[in-house]
Amino acid sequence: MKKAISVLLVFVMLIGMTLALTGCGSTKTTSSAASGSSAATTNAKLTLWINGKDSYISPDEQKLSQDQWYISQAIKRFEDANPGVTIELVVSADGETAHQTFKADAVAGTAPDMANLWTGQYTFQLEDAILDIKDLIPADDKKNITGWDAVTSTNTGAILGYPTSDNQVCFFLYNKTIIKECGLDFEKDPPRTIDAFNKACDAIAAKGYQPIASDDGSFPWFGCYVMNYWWAQQSGVDRIVSNCAGKTKFADDAGLISALTYYRKTMTAGYLNSDAVTSTDSWNKFCQGKVAMTPQVSSVIGDAEKALGADNIGVILPPDFDGAKITNSTIGGPGQDIVISKATKNPDLCIKFLSFLNSKDEVLKFEKVQQKVPTRTDITAADIGVSDTSATAKLFKFSGNMVFWIDNTLTSDVCSEYCSQMPMVLSGQMTPEDFAKDLDGIAAKSAK
Amino acid sequence: MPSKTQGAASLRRGTFQQRQKRSALLSILPVAVILLAIKAYPIAATVYRSFTNWDGLYKSDFIGFANYADFFSSGLFAKLLKNDLVLLLSVPLQIVIGLIVAVLLYEHVPGWRAFRAIYYIPQIISLVILGYLFKSMFSLDGPVNQILRAIGLGKYAVEWMAHGSTALPVMVGCITWYSIGWQVIVILGGMASIDASVFEAARLDGAGFWSRTFKIVLPMLVSTLTYCVVMSVVWTFTGLFSLIYSMTGGGPGYETMTLDYMIYEKSFVSGTQFGMACAISVVLLLIVMLITAAEMKLSNMAEKAWG
Amino acid sequence: MKSNKSVGRTIGRAVIFIVLLILAISFLYPLFYMLINSLKTLKGYYRSPFALPDEKLQWSNFATMISQFKILELFKNSFIISFLSVVGLILFGALASFAFAKVDFRGKDGIYLAILATLFIPTQVTIIPMYVTFAKMHLVDSFIGVVLAYWAAFLPETIMLMTSNFKGVNDALLEAAAIDGCGYLKQLRNVMLPMGWPAISLSIIFFFINTWNDLFTPMVLLKSMDKRTVMVALSSLIGRYTGDPPFQYAGLLLSAIPALLVYVLFQRSIINGMSMGSVK
Repeated sequence: MKKAISVLLVFVMLIGMTLALTGCGSTKTTSSAASGSSAATTNAKLTLWINGKDSYISPDEQKLSQDQWYISQAIKRFEDANPGVTIELVVSADGETAHQTFKADAVAGTAPDMANLWTGQYTFQLEDAILDIKDLIPADDKKNITGWDAVTSTNTGAILGYPTSDNQVCFFLYNKTIIKECGLDFEKDPPRTIDAFNKACDAIAAKGYQPIASDDGSFPWFGCYVMNYWWAQQSGVDRIVSNCAGKTKFADDAGLISALTYYRKTMTAGYLNSDAVTSTDSWNKFCQGKVAMTPQVSSVIGDAEKALGADNIGVILPPDFDGAKITNSTIGGPGQDIVISKATKNPDLCIKFLSFLNSKDEVLKFEKVQQKVPTRTDITAADIGVSDTSATAKLFKFSGNMVFWIDNTLTSDVCSEYCSQMPMVLSGQMTPEDFAKDLDGIAAKSAK
Repeated sequence: MPSKTQGAASLRRGTFQQRQKRSALLSILPVAVILLAIKAYPIAATVYRSFTNWDGLYKSDFIGFANYADFFSSGLFAKLLKNDLVLLLSVPLQIVIGLIVAVLLYEHVPGWRAFRAIYYIPQIISLVILGYLFKSMFSLDGPVNQILRAIGLGKYAVEWMAHGSTALPVMVGCITWYSIGWQVIVILGGMASIDASVFEAARLDGAGFWSRTFKIVLPMLVSTLTYCVVMSVVWTFTGLFSLIYSMTGGGPGYETMTLDYMIYEKSFVSGTQFGMACAISVVLLLIVMLITAAEMKLSNMAEKAWG
Repeated sequence: MKSNKSVGRTIGRAVIFIVLLILAISFLYPLFYMLINSLKTLKGYYRSPFALPDEKLQWSNFATMISQFKILELFKNSFIISFLSVVGLILFGALASFAFAKVDFRGKDGIYLAILATLFIPTQVTIIPMYVTFAKMHLVDSFIGVVLAYWAAFLPETIMLMTSNFKGVNDALLEAAAIDGCGYLKQLRNVMLPMGWPAISLSIIFFFINTWNDLFTPMVLLKSMDKRTVMVALSSLIGRYTGDPPFQYAGLLLSAIPALLVYVLFQRSIINGMSMGSVK
């Protein structure tokens, strides 16, 4: 028995040791913010999740200490203006996982007050745990901020959060030097029809450059940035939504088949790099001046300008199919949002913070750190200090007329099948017709 | 067995055997408690939810075997299982190569100390990095194809990762390469219990390398090799996530997707098919249990045969 | 005749050595790759990931890792978790393995299989229900939660490894110890541990490295910035649109060092070859 007791004692000691050590660890987390104000009327502590990538924190900022980040300083400004309030910033290492941990926390009852999620279906599927803020948003914000579609649930019409100040625009980024060398001028005479686009690609290929490059294997970027536009412009967004609901069929959707066929053609005609399904270096090749065009979003402009020089890069809208319902447009919209969970004890305070974060003042401060097309309509390119002739200024123009991200509009089951199987269509291992039938199967199952 | 020669003191606490048994059970207690507390609920929850249409949040209606029916009838199961079985081919490769290298190192091939240190290094590097590196190496214009073209085998310089038929062999190669170090080290550890004198004698008798390895070492390493086989098989079914994530993401399409990765797709990527993800987990659990049980049976038979 | 055979054998030995050498070089290559890329500028990296750096070597990547990214503090977190995990695994594992390997009791095989079976479910599946349980017990965002998760995840494997190794220990030694008056725990300490040291070293190496490199579990279970592990922090450096691979490689190389150290320290305890016999 003595031996048994000693075994148990060791066990208990070990647990005790770890508890003690973690006890030491957790005392550090009582935030250093808001130390002074003791005469607070509203002593509230909020938790805010922000994605560590592609959101309010840039990779350059990651090289600085946390209190120097834009978002930390914005939080401090809010705390200073609202004594007694502390906001704990939690960085979600992975945006995708953040949705699952938010879900798990909601089920466990420990959801954060505010969380940075991806817009569209990603947010809608968590609707049961998110506060509907339709009636809480200040009227000014509703007026001055665009992108509310991205956070308005297609199921219930509830508004599920504030779009982040990053109104992404999709376009073809192009290398001005190469285009000039091929005798083309995309600023004065951009290819607006599919025919003109084909001719331009032929001219580029004739000069020995790769007309278009994209890495469409692990995720179909070209597909989601541009091909989806070709689909939406021919079928209309309503048709896409009703396909997903099972009311109409993907297989009968001529716009889809047409877009997919052309997508495949860009590869067979040699316009798109032949290893698009496995390549990882299309961006590198573009930066080295070997590629004429690459389908991209606003976020890369900064890197592109650094790599090739601001004078050498330009942006154009994707070409339009003849007879399309939507023209002179492109895919875009805020890709991320900040939601307020239903379980929060301080909804009004959360709204106050989100409104603060999206105020003109704050957005301008944010733009100094990361240049993005804002979702506020009262900020012009000039306000951010962007020259009229720059690519970013053009993006501002484009952002006024966009089709919201189709992959965020699709239901999540259809979307994941769609994104998985696209490389099969691109590489010719699956026909567009079979692809459409596959999607119908998924839509039918989830419609039940 | 000196069981009754202890004296009065032992008679109070029971026989030696009884005390051993009690201590044994007590020493298993912490393990049992930890596993029950932490794993039992998730596993039970998974099995239960596999019979529902759980979306990860609040919706969870009982739908019986619908998930399973869907999964088996969609043709997806067949494809995923096939991919898993192909990847499983890396196991015999790993073990044979590992065994040969281990014996070589045991016999103090020149440089054996350095080799023993270096061979384990891939295991220290994250699989995500290695997967990404392999993917770059086998890209259309990557080093492998460059070499093939340079030596005149240009027609084999294909886009390796774009088709299941070429991507899976590359993955098998990568897994084998990565695991050699692990196998070597485990087998070397197992060889500690081999009587060196038997080995010496065989060598002096003139037994060649192959007969030394396969006729003498192999029978003495049954329980170690069982461990290697079981763990390698289980790892292939449940631990390849990082590798697949960085090499192909299961693609193109589902060509390189495994059961384990599909669980991730259905739960983390798709976001609402948690019930289905649970069903696939249960199927995976049953398959792995079956295979492991078969392995243990074979191992028992081998132990009896070679003693 | 004799000279032919020995020439043949020498050629054979040379071939073997060359093959082993080529393999060894291939195993070292990833470290080399990470090194040259960590010393490049972002532009240099984009030009070619496989070439040697052609600009000034960016040692600043490493400096920034230590000063601004505070990688050493992240090391502390990872180390606490890995250390506690390994200690627990060895302790509980050795205890239980001794029982499985050397003592006969009712239901032994059944319990052993049940323990093994928990291995067959991948972490992706169990992480969310586990998370919910931990959240209710306030174990989320604590090191102990992660350590417990690792104990549960790796104990079956530890037990499998140690049991198969302990089985090989000579029964006579145990009997001798028992006659000397050693109880269960003393037998464990005096006989099994020294004889089973290869298995224990192996376990220390495996599970330190596994827990050190693991991304998934700490990513889900830990929230606070100051509790992040090295791997989780490094993974946030490459996003969809922007990223700094050279910087990340510098971090990855630095974080490989503790793992390498543990390996180098303990791998000598594993069989030294024919010089070590089992006759004591």
